[in-house]
Amino acid sequence: MHHVGSVGNPNNFTRPRKEKRLTYVLNDSDDTKHCAGINCLAVLKSAASDESDYLFTGSRDGKLKRWALAVDAATCSATFESHSDWVNDAVLVGDSTLVSCSSDTTLKTWNALSTGTCTRTLCQHSDYVTCLAAAEKNSNVVASGGLGGEVFIWDIEAALASASKCNDAMDDDASNGVNSSGNSLPMTSLRTIGSSNSISMQAQTEGYIPVVAKGHKESVYALAMNEGGTLLVSGGTEKVVRVWDPRSGSKTMKLKGHTDNIRALILDSTGRLCLSGSSDSMLRLWDLGQQRCVHSYAVHTDSVWALASNSTFSHVYSGGRDSSLYLTDLHTRESVLLSTGEQPILQLALHDDSIWVASTDSSVHRWPAEVCNPQKIFQRGNSFLAGNLSFSRARVSLEGSTPPILTIPGIPAIVQHEVLNNKRHVLTKDTSGSVKLWEITKGVAIEDYGNVPFDEKKAELFEMVSVPAWFTVDTRLGSLSVHLDTPQCFSAEIYSQELNIVDKPEDDKINLARETLKGLLVHWLRKRKQRMGTHASANGELFSENDIGTRSLSHSRVEVDGSSEIDTVVYPPFEFSIDSPPSIVTEGTHGGPWRKKITDLDGTEDDKDIPWWCLDCVLNNRLPPRENAK
Amino acid sequence: MGASGSKLEKALGDNFPEGEHYFGLENFGNTCYCNSVLQISSQKRKTGVIAPKRFVQRLKKQNELFRSYMHQDAHEFLNYLLNELVDILEKEAQAAKDDQETLLASEKIANGPKKNGLANGTKKEPPLATWVHKNFQGILTNETRCLQCETVTARDETFFDLSLDIEQNSSITSCLKNFSSTETLNAEDKFFCDKCCSLQEAQKRMKIKRPPRVLVIHLKRFKYMEQLGRYKKLSYRVVFPLELRLSDTDEEADIEYSLFAVVVHVGSGPNHGHYVCLVKNHNHWLCFDDETVEAVDESSVQTFFGSSQDFNNNTDHGYILFYESINRN
Repeated sequence: MHHVGSVGNPNNFTRPRKEKRLTYVLNDSDDTKHCAGINCLAVLKSAASDESDYLFTGSRDGKLKRWALAVDAATCSATFESHSDWVNDAVLVGDSTLVSCSSDTTLKTWNALSTGTCTRTLCQHSDYVTCLAAAEKNSNVVASGGLGGEVFIWDIEAALASASKCNDAMDDDASNGVNSSGNSLPMTSLRTIGSSNSISMQAQTEGYIPVVAKGHKESVYALAMNEGGTLLVSGGTEKVVRVWDPRSGSKTMKLKGHTDNIRALILDSTGRLCLSGSSDSMLRLWDLGQQRCVHSYAVHTDSVWALASNSTFSHVYSGGRDSSLYLTDLHTRESVLLSTGEQPILQLALHDDSIWVASTDSSVHRWPAEVCNPQKIFQRGNSFLAGNLSFSRARVSLEGSTPPILTIPGIPAIVQHEVLNNKRHVLTKDTSGSVKLWEITKGVAIEDYGNVPFDEKKAELFEMVSVPAWFTVDTRLGSLSVHLDTPQCFSAEIYSQELNIVDKPEDDKINLARETLKGLLVHWLRKRKQRMGTHASANGELFSENDIGTRSLSHSRVEVDGSSEIDTVVYPPFEFSIDSPPSIVTEGTHGGPWRKKITDLDGTEDDKDIPWWCLDCVLNNRLPPRENAK
Repeated sequence: MGASGSKLEKALGDNFPEGEHYFGLENFGNTCYCNSVLQISSQKRKTGVIAPKRFVQRLKKQNELFRSYMHQDAHEFLNYLLNELVDILEKEAQAAKDDQETLLASEKIANGPKKNGLANGTKKEPPLATWVHKNFQGILTNETRCLQCETVTARDETFFDLSLDIEQNSSITSCLKNFSSTETLNAEDKFFCDKCCSLQEAQKRMKIKRPPRVLVIHLKRFKYMEQLGRYKKLSYRVVFPLELRLSDTDEEADIEYSLFAVVVHVGSGPNHGHYVCLVKNHNHWLCFDDETVEAVDESSVQTFFGSSQDFNNNTDHGYILFYESINRN
């Protein structure tokens, strides 16, 4: 994740360095919906009866959303945007702290009832963080598990306190990460930073250190903690359920039985019973007192990915890759199919008498579940007895299925893309089969072709032109992410006339990346000028002496169009939409990666946050030397 | 000449199989790699020595690799031989087909246009299966399962032989198990899952989907040693059973194989040494050492397993194993 920036050593320039990349994510015009699969759910019950309950959803689009719930409606009341990759899990702790984890390797904390403020970025993991577990009673304790077998146990209150200690004038996210391992800090942070809103490295390294649960040999895909926070269970590709004391991080026991990855775990309130769901399609009930598996249930026809139990732990709801939701009586082994859909079930959350079901499409459904009296469902019949071997599962069908009580719809995720030859347009196809054409320098879809064959449309739009590839694209967030890397991104130039830019000489050429960067940072630049007021000139005050100035003079080509005036005008083909502004994603320096809408940049972001070469390009009109740009 | 042959005749006596011929092959200076492999096919007279001069001349002419008098690798030769055979057979078959088609085409002109679909020469033919394919070709499946969405991506590839990594004091069964064991793609080496549109952990494994009629197993006894900067011969003891059972294939039942030939590498290093071969014929094991052919006891096969200790006088090690399926046509 960390790339070594320059430390002002001129020798650095002689060898190729990997600079940080700038990524921008194109947002759909409807920001009240998720645009990729929902990985996690959390329900916040209102304290007072006149207030509404809230549902929190975390998605593969990298965002979390808060939904205000009415009897028959859910309204998006906040979007939490800062993660730069999939949000994999989220838990609520304390009164109103939301903790989320992501494939961007961080945990983030949020004020759950705010408009979406990230209060803290916790950078301890070195790989994807896959799961979280919170203790309901001991509400400060959260465990996080991830790939590479990393499991940390956090005291969220302490982690938050340590942050406020070292920066009170700080902005929310971006620059306040915990990074206790000093050696993993990028070199750029060691540079003396002149600006007033910087933070000393000492405060960073003295940050809060979580408890480590050492001993996992392989990746962790599931965690659960009991109410009191005295017991932590973990599961993963090792196929064993491990039991830990979260207070010390020490191992208690290891339970064998599953034959494939363990994807879901729940504990009863006392911590005596544990239920696990696995890719071997089985549910297993473990008695932690006896240290053995007391029951196994063959309910699903494919991997079990999500579990939820009622408060007495007598009944369990389970969902998984077979897109089916089952209710199983753990004592009688009776099981019944509650619903079956088209998309695999990723997460379940019980809410009063119903259940929220999240799946790989961008929507969430609420089904009736008789949580208070599950026996009612069995009285309706159609139940079967769960076998105890994976192949002994009975055949079941769903009779007289009822529709969900409520559906929170999403936007179909983009799953296929093709960069067109003009290197400004990208053709995409989403999960609903809809084909669209995007203009990436404006960040909007300019054509919606509907359900047409992707390859035919691609052939139809083929143009015999050759423009150097100046960006790369991926669709892991369900929308287009455009990546700019220096110096390759500056390789494409095109005649102004081709883009119908007026008042330019006939042979005037513009650099696509530079114009795009100007378009992306226009709001930042305006706010920055406002902040700096009258005493600062527009020309790179922030980086006057020790910073970018001296560093880049030696290796940048200064492009000034005859006069010393710098061309900050954003041309129409590079004006990003205000209604659905793109978000920029950067690797940050010490705060870890972050993501923000371009209109939400407040002008305080400097070269610690945004790669210096982007700022150098926008503020000083300097591009990397041409020979490198090839 | 013929002395060793007549000795063999005496040894086998009345047991000498009717109509069989056991010939030695003359060595033209480091051509034993070739002889050892060639012996696994049949000959003309009862016993004696043949000089496969023309064969070797042709081989050296066609492939630069085998032109020098350097010590050559028998496995490389086997590979070359099988692929070259396939090429020749396919060309022959194509030529025969073309002849037939010109014949048909001329007939067509003579008889006037027919609306018979069968006479249409442009119809797609299935890829030609030569006897090499029928006997030696198996199908391996490379299965990758994304650990996030658990979608399995399978890619089939054909093979004529399996090259197995070996360990000290192991067996073919355990080497095969390692061969198809699961490897996890993780950390910096994640798998790009098309379904997830992102990098995810994945589990990868090789599976023998369709076992061949003749299973050729090549033991990787020549290993490149990073610290030495050169190849080293591994004299590890690897037990190869006379009967081998393959499970976890796409076939309904387990496939049973019987060992019928072994190419043995004699010597302690990769750049020198000698090749001999053991062939089972009509329940007799014969050892072919260039022009010498001797009957050996079945139990002597186990002297070629390798050595448990690093330093051992026995430098004769099984290198390529030929198994024939006994319960499958």
